[in-house]
Amino acid sequence: MKMSSRRRRCKRQLIKFTQHIARLITGTLSSDNEDEEQESTTVRYHPENLEQLQSQTHFSRQELQLLYRGFKNDCPSGVVNEDTFKNIYALFFPLGDSSKYAQFLFNAFDKDKNGSLSFEELVCDLSVLLRGSTEEKLNWAFNLYDINNDGQITKEEMLDILKSIYDLMGKSIHPRLKEEAVRQHVRMFFQKMDMNQDGVVTIDEFIDCCQKDENIMQSLKIFDNAV
Amino acid sequence: MAAGVAAWLPFARAAAIGWMPVASAPMPPPPRDKRRGQDGLIILNVSGTRFQTWRNTLERYPDTLLGSTERDFFFHEETNEYFFDRDPDIFRHILNFYRTGKLHYPRHECISAYDEELAFFGIIPEIIGDCCYEEYKDRRRENVERIQDDEENDNNKDMVLPDMSFRETMWRAFENPHTSTMALVFYYVTGFFIAVSVMANVVETVPCGSGPNRAKEVSCGERYVLAFFCLDTACVMIFTVEYLLRLIAAPSRYKFVKSVMSIIDVVAIMPYYIGLVMTDNEDVSGAFVTLRVFRVFRIFKFSRHSAGLRILGYTLKSCASELGFLLFSLTMAIIIFATVMFYAEKGSSASKFTSIPAAFWYTIVTMTTLGYGDMVPKTIIGKVVGSVCSLSGVLVIALPVPVIVSNFSRIYHQSQRAEKRRAQKASKQTGQALVCKSNPTFETQHHHLLHCLEKTTNHEFVDEQTYETSCMEVSLAKPSMSRSSSLSSSPHGLSSCCTRRNKRKSFNVPNSYMADGRRSSIQELSTIQIRERPMSNSRSCLNAKFEETVHLNSEEQSYITAAVISMPTPPVTTPEGGDSASSPNFLQSNIVRVSAL
Repeated sequence: MKMSSRRRRCKRQLIKFTQHIARLITGTLSSDNEDEEQESTTVRYHPENLEQLQSQTHFSRQELQLLYRGFKNDCPSGVVNEDTFKNIYALFFPLGDSSKYAQFLFNAFDKDKNGSLSFEELVCDLSVLLRGSTEEKLNWAFNLYDINNDGQITKEEMLDILKSIYDLMGKSIHPRLKEEAVRQHVRMFFQKMDMNQDGVVTIDEFIDCCQKDENIMQSLKIFDNAV
Repeated sequence: MAAGVAAWLPFARAAAIGWMPVASAPMPPPPRDKRRGQDGLIILNVSGTRFQTWRNTLERYPDTLLGSTERDFFFHEETNEYFFDRDPDIFRHILNFYRTGKLHYPRHECISAYDEELAFFGIIPEIIGDCCYEEYKDRRRENVERIQDDEENDNNKDMVLPDMSFRETMWRAFENPHTSTMALVFYYVTGFFIAVSVMANVVETVPCGSGPNRAKEVSCGERYVLAFFCLDTACVMIFTVEYLLRLIAAPSRYKFVKSVMSIIDVVAIMPYYIGLVMTDNEDVSGAFVTLRVFRVFRIFKFSRHSAGLRILGYTLKSCASELGFLLFSLTMAIIIFATVMFYAEKGSSASKFTSIPAAFWYTIVTMTTLGYGDMVPKTIIGKVVGSVCSLSGVLVIALPVPVIVSNFSRIYHQSQRAEKRRAQKASKQTGQALVCKSNPTFETQHHHLLHCLEKTTNHEFVDEQTYETSCMEVSLAKPSMSRSSSLSSSPHGLSSCCTRRNKRKSFNVPNSYMADGRRSSIQELSTIQIRERPMSNSRSCLNAKFEETVHLNSEEQSYITAAVISMPTPPVTTPEGGDSASSPNFLQSNIVRVSAL
């Protein structure tokens, strides 16, 4: 057995060697033989038609046109992937590090979790956030905070979210950011929201508490004219 | 990307809903939206070619002709379009700038025509995209140089500037010999004496026939000692005088002394003086003779007279590494072959290859295909090795030479281009910073967004200086110091939300909006932008909407965005003096917090 395998190996080596010599003599370069063709892997995606989007969202026709034109300008392929989204979001917060928060946002927008945002997903979420009822908005916010989508916000999830929001500010802030400040913020949040004190916030607790808080209700309306 | 980013602002603002439930403070009210008219198509008729675009596209850059109300001057009522009597081909690029945010320079266009069009439409050339910027600058410089050359040729005769000091005149005469007759005479005289001196050095070693009372032949130098000595003295006199005159006339003596040419001058005349000083001592005469070799350096003085020599010297200097590598590889090959040769010829009798270093000489002569024949291998192995040596010698020497030649030109052009680019970059950044503006609506909304973020986290943006101050100080800052520190020009400008992003695809830099509607409300920060501008003639200046520019150190190009917070103590800068409706929000110290908004 061993003899034959060794012989086979020898033969293979010999063949390779003669090939090498032949190539040397004839002067062919190794790169000539390789025929690599890069297949272009562009993803082209186009959204559903305008009427359907109009019916699904609260936007008017002109507004949808405006939004799509801007979207298409930046993402000609029709979808936004996570990196592009992070880059775009970073442009709005040049002082801080927006990558973590952008990631949470991306996951919140990406309903079908396929790693890219299509125009419909964006526009549907946008219509909820800008034109939806307060309950829908709070629902969306809860989904944003609930990183693992288990229906509950734990202290760790809240800590992550808050840290990413504080990261958006960057370093040069006043007063100086202390480690404790974020935890304090988390504690305040849980004190307010966690009614049955079980350490997690469920969606009903969340919506109830927010609806009772005047400030939050007021602030949910400030972006209503954003488009 | 300027246009694109504005399009994403609604998404960013909508995403800010996510901060609302965790906010610890109430949010500021949103800015009142300036009612934008319905977006419509605008027809631009440029010498018959019709272009159409959305009105919003043009208004992205409000400080250009098309983006501002200046275009109304070109409105043609009968046809309901804007008519421009300009070149439609170049206009295409200008319109593309509005669409994509990038200005390109078409290579086939004349540079001055392009510049004129840009000037007409109020676009600053510094915003040309990276892809075309080098080409644009190169062409522009060529043009400028060409114009300058033409002017110089015209004015060359009468370039007498009466207010130049004697020293400057002399220096100019030395550097440009054709500026005056005296300079030309001097130039030729020195050239002549350099040639004479070199010839004398050469001729004095020629054998001149036997002397009267000697049997053997002597060189001319030894026969006509006095003549050569006089000649040498005369030449050295001239060279010394020239060197001293140059030293006096040089604008920067230290730089002159360090320069290569002056070193050559010194080396050329030193041996003579050393010879004068030294006595006819037996020990040092040997060294003295060596010193005379340095007289040949006088020939390098010709490089002042010849530009070609200077270029050769420069290229050799810049290709030093390539030459070094060639030398190194040759040395390797020589050592290898010499070793093999030595051991191959060791056996044969009466072999000339007595040692490996002795074989070096054979290897070099063979590899460079000189083949003197003073050393020849006798054994068969030696002959085989010798032939391999000569064949490889051809390869080893012939291969790097074209590489070096191409390296010459590549390095030469590259270093020129790198310097060009470095010079361009500086001016480009300042130009770009000025020009990349976005529309005010976008600014307002973006700032409102950042303001919301501040409220959510209950921290505020500050500039780096006050951040460091607050880090270092434990207690509250003293009012006077803090006031001066924060408003005195922070060297690196403020880390305003927008200025630091010059390096990235900057979508805006200095903001020119004024907080219009907010002044009335008491509970907030009144944001006033104090913009510091290095150049004040740009068109963008005129359209800026801020109300007052505080003149801080104008040497520094810092864009300072300051928020003067209405505070109990008299504020440092308020264009509206009385508008310090104090807000008790402001808790901490009397530091003028310079917010990024």
